[in-house]
Amino acid sequence: MVDSSYTRSPVARMRAIWGARKILFLLVRRDLKVRYANSVLGYMWTVLDPLLMSFVYWAMFSILFARNVPGDDPYIVFLLAGMLPWQWFNSTVSQSAKALRSSSRLIRSTNLPREIWILRVVASNGVEFLFSIPVLAGFLIAYQVPLHWNMLVTFPLAIVLMAVLLTGIGLGLSVLTVMVPDLDRLVKIFLRLFFYASPVLYSVTKLPPDLRWVYVANPVADILQMFRSGIFPHYLEWTHVGYTAVVSLLVLALGWWLFARLERTVLKEL
Amino acid sequence: MTEPIISVQDISIRFHRSRRHRSLRDLLFKGESGVRAGEFWGLRHISFDVQPGEAIGVVGRNGQGKSTLLKTIAGVLIPDEGRVNVNGGVAPLIEITGGFVGDLTVRDNIYLAAGLHGMGKKQIAASFEEIVEFAEIEDFVDTPYKHLSSGMKVRVAFSVVSRLDEPIMLVDEVLAVGDRAFREKCFERIDEMLSQGRTLFMVSHSEANLTRFCTRGLYLREGTLVLDGPIQEVVDQYFSDSGDEAALRRRHERRMRRMRRLGLLNEEDEEEDDGDEDNLRTVV
Repeated sequence: MVDSSYTRSPVARMRAIWGARKILFLLVRRDLKVRYANSVLGYMWTVLDPLLMSFVYWAMFSILFARNVPGDDPYIVFLLAGMLPWQWFNSTVSQSAKALRSSSRLIRSTNLPREIWILRVVASNGVEFLFSIPVLAGFLIAYQVPLHWNMLVTFPLAIVLMAVLLTGIGLGLSVLTVMVPDLDRLVKIFLRLFFYASPVLYSVTKLPPDLRWVYVANPVADILQMFRSGIFPHYLEWTHVGYTAVVSLLVLALGWWLFARLERTVLKEL
Repeated sequence: MTEPIISVQDISIRFHRSRRHRSLRDLLFKGESGVRAGEFWGLRHISFDVQPGEAIGVVGRNGQGKSTLLKTIAGVLIPDEGRVNVNGGVAPLIEITGGFVGDLTVRDNIYLAAGLHGMGKKQIAASFEEIVEFAEIEDFVDTPYKHLSSGMKVRVAFSVVSRLDEPIMLVDEVLAVGDRAFREKCFERIDEMLSQGRTLFMVSHSEANLTRFCTRGLYLREGTLVLDGPIQEVVDQYFSDSGDEAALRRRHERRMRRMRRLGLLNEEDEEEDDGDEDNLRTVV
């Protein structure tokens, strides 16, 4: 069904996306299949990268600079609990910047709601994140770290907020990169800086108090704290959760607006 | 008169000629119409209705908006002005290999591509045999798609897309690919679909194909709809308009032949004679 006026109303867009949900599942499954079809290690790659990086930082901070471990104890658990969601954030943002260009052949040959191509990136990286959770669980068992009951709430909520935030960023970024190709490079650099500016390697509580507001303002930092709060419950602050929810929804609204506004022009560019 | 299945209402699409497009700020905050310097109308004020079961051929020289029109109907381009209403699913035979992934096997690809175009799993399983048989790739079902020859790729793709159970077919010169035997099969398939009462929308330069399938023609020139009428009339008009072009090509071929005779070109480059031999002698 083609009705060119559906480009206007958000409700009609929602309905179109809902109608294509089966195809979204199909695409996500395909992504995972393609990712693993040609590699010997397959699933291992999902966890190998964050795991190795975590080991490097763990060795650096708890052996080389043993006196000033910047996170909670056990540090490797602290690192992984931040590194895995960060990996989701990082790969989704860099992939969704290219999402429209890299699936341009599909976009030109199928009449699907174009948001699908971003949702698919968010979802397939999200699934990979979930696949990597058993590794963290393994470390929790090895170090005999107990879980706090609040993870039953905070963990799913953190996943939802992360997905909302990423969808917003992805929608906006995907159309902007088509119009301004340089943005793709910029995003890579920005992500690297943002990694150090977010509390992945260190804990906000170990920072000078004057600086902390910066981290509260950064929604990614808050989401990382939420992911960690099931293991280290002192990170949970419901006001921050509320703030992150509002910011994520705003980012989604802005990203979607940009997407809708530029969609027509972008289709001509592909 | 029944409800039209495709209704195109005064659509226009703007393209830009140079690399630069409008600034982001303009695109975001101004809904301005009209063309500026460096822009042109790819389609301008096109309106027509299509009744279910009609077979329409679109003609026009390169770059006059045929594919743009088809893409707009397929919903992969959005018009800058006007509106397109399509009451039914579309089987787009445009860039048909688009949904295929090189690394996956033909089998996986058939499931994926058919799924992307909206076919259910059971439906695909039911017509899987038929798809494979039609594409004549029984021996390569578990071969990665990238290892197929380019003709085979198109065969698989055509076979999947033409199996879609949609009331509207859009065909954009995909039939130029594939060997003669397969092309004939494609034509038969299209005939079969037409006889089931589907609506066909076809872009072609071949008079034979146009008159074989279509009943109504649309002639596009410089983005506007010049003629909308019975196919024979439209084709005649189109060929008489582009007469100069044909003369030019004949002259070029004549020159090539002369060069070949002088030994400047390889004999292998020789094209088929088009009955111009007599002319040639008088020139040389």
